[in-house]
Amino acid sequence: MKYFGGCDVGSTYTKAVILDETGKIVADTTIKSKIQAEESARLAMKDVIAKVPELNSEEDLAYLIGTGYGRNKVPFADENISEISCHAMGVHITNPDVKAIIDIGGQDVKGIAIDKDGTVQNFAMNDKCAAGTGRFFEAMARSFEMTLPEFSKLSLTAKNVIPITAQCTVFAESEVITLVGEGKPMDEIAAGVEMSIAKRCFVMAKKAGATDSITLTGGCAKNDGLKQAIEQVLKLKVVELKTDPQLMGALGAAEYARQKGLAGAAA
Amino acid sequence: MRDLKNLIYFEGLLDNPDNELVKKASEDGRKALGYTCFYIPEVLLNLDNCFSVRLRAPNVGSIDIATYYMSNYTCEFCRTILEDAIEGGFQFLDALAEPDACSAMNRLAEHFELLKVNDKPDFFVTHLEVPYKIEDYTLDMYETQVQIHLLDELQKRFGTDISDASIRKAVDEHNEVCRIMTELSDMRKLPNPPITGYEYFVINLCTYCCPKDLLLPKLRETLEEVRNRKTDPKPWYRARVEVVGSEIDDLDLIKMLEDAGAFVVADRFCFGTFPGRQEIELTDDKPALAQIIEKYLVESECARWMSQEKIQQRHDTVDQLAKDFNADGIIYEQMKYCDFWAFERTMASFVLHEEYGWPVLSIDRSYRVRGSGQLRTRFQAFVEALEIKKIRAAAEEGGASA
Repeated sequence: MKYFGGCDVGSTYTKAVILDETGKIVADTTIKSKIQAEESARLAMKDVIAKVPELNSEEDLAYLIGTGYGRNKVPFADENISEISCHAMGVHITNPDVKAIIDIGGQDVKGIAIDKDGTVQNFAMNDKCAAGTGRFFEAMARSFEMTLPEFSKLSLTAKNVIPITAQCTVFAESEVITLVGEGKPMDEIAAGVEMSIAKRCFVMAKKAGATDSITLTGGCAKNDGLKQAIEQVLKLKVVELKTDPQLMGALGAAEYARQKGLAGAAA
Repeated sequence: MRDLKNLIYFEGLLDNPDNELVKKASEDGRKALGYTCFYIPEVLLNLDNCFSVRLRAPNVGSIDIATYYMSNYTCEFCRTILEDAIEGGFQFLDALAEPDACSAMNRLAEHFELLKVNDKPDFFVTHLEVPYKIEDYTLDMYETQVQIHLLDELQKRFGTDISDASIRKAVDEHNEVCRIMTELSDMRKLPNPPITGYEYFVINLCTYCCPKDLLLPKLRETLEEVRNRKTDPKPWYRARVEVVGSEIDDLDLIKMLEDAGAFVVADRFCFGTFPGRQEIELTDDKPALAQIIEKYLVESECARWMSQEKIQQRHDTVDQLAKDFNADGIIYEQMKYCDFWAFERTMASFVLHEEYGWPVLSIDRSYRVRGSGQLRTRFQAFVEALEIKKIRAAAEEGGASA
């Protein structure tokens, strides 16, 4: 049996997935990223390979593809593919009915429209600004002195939403601290933060040309408060994926590795 | 392919606006005339004892001081040039010629004067009005502007020969540069070209930033080298792109694109090849100045023109260039806070995709893109999408013929 790997080195988390020849996930892992992308990739690959008894090292993989912001730092990778293409493919093989993705990673937010074969039809992405990204959430949760899951849970209890007007992460944090200082309800402020990011996601999704059948990927996809806010602004139900949405980049990379590895072997 | 013999030399000329050729010309007593916009006919800055230097600011870090003077939401290019000027980067200039093209450039020129960024006693800033429409009377108006605010000033202050014969001589030299660049540019049409988009960009940028006569020997040598350059068996790129938009003088931007596998086959951005590196064909029946003015305004692809025929001209030019240079897709780019290109990019990237059928990537960017991981990802994703389209098209063609 041949095995194929995908390693998604993100700015916050590094994910790795191994597929067998049939495309079945045989192992996956998610670790906190280190400052050096190469070290993150090494650790994630070591971790995921240890879960497959037939594999001893990356060299035993028939094909390995790196993706994510550190995609060109994955040791032993046969090639690298952008996370935009990989997220599209990962979602496509998980649920071919999904036609669009909002991917909220640590340092960027992307809207991706998927073609019928899992390739990218169109995409939109934020520039340098961290507004609407995982970093933004981290800063907001920090100002609440909460973990991200606690912050998300709190936002779901709000009956009203206090709008956050600042786009910039730094100014938004200052605005939140001011609102807390004024004694405004914490849950309503949290809901306002979720809504401000949902609006950012709305822009990316629309720019990419997303219409219906949309899903969330990336670490922030696990934030139920955000999911609810996105459903509200997009006026549609977000499709749940049966596989961890944070793994979609690595899964897509592994699927590309599988396709390319098998095609190479056949040739 | 083997490295170009003079590439490092050309890159070195772009390290600093006051490069070795500019220094040499200045030491010879010639006058360095700075400019930042296509509306100032470059060839008229190269008369007699003068030479043109297109302004760049490759070594500026933070632009806080310029932002204080010009405010946040103004073109980053103009702010960066002003920051460099404040830091003393343009002390070598003898004059700055600026058109009334946009408010940011107007403020830039104004602050060159107000902040006295140049210590030379004879240094001056001159400012020209530019029409919004092309009619006989607006051509006359712009000719008058150029005559009064540029040529007469050069004659009065530096004793420059501004005669028709002097202008025609400058055109001859300009045309030799254009012929060389056109031949190099046309090589980009080939499936396996003997020049990369980055190499071409570096050489072309040098032609805007150096005295032409001092650069020409290296240009001639490089043209000969590229003519005889042996290519690798397979082309190195994954997709061919035309880049369209506002000012680009950032080597890292083109390098980032080519590192992502995108071969820049056509450069339809400010200070690229189209327009700017086409020969000026003069006839004897009209003064050279009038012919130059007409050529610059008629061929201008600036997003400042808002008449319907100019908007259509811009779309058609981009489409035609993409066809001529066998591009797979088009990248529309815009300098952050460039008002004209913000509008044009939004509209044209939609029109070129929906009505002309081109794959289009649309970006806005900082003056310097170094370290922008997001931009790198977008370029790579675009290249991957273009590559897949090509593979599919080839497969369909194979299926159809089989």
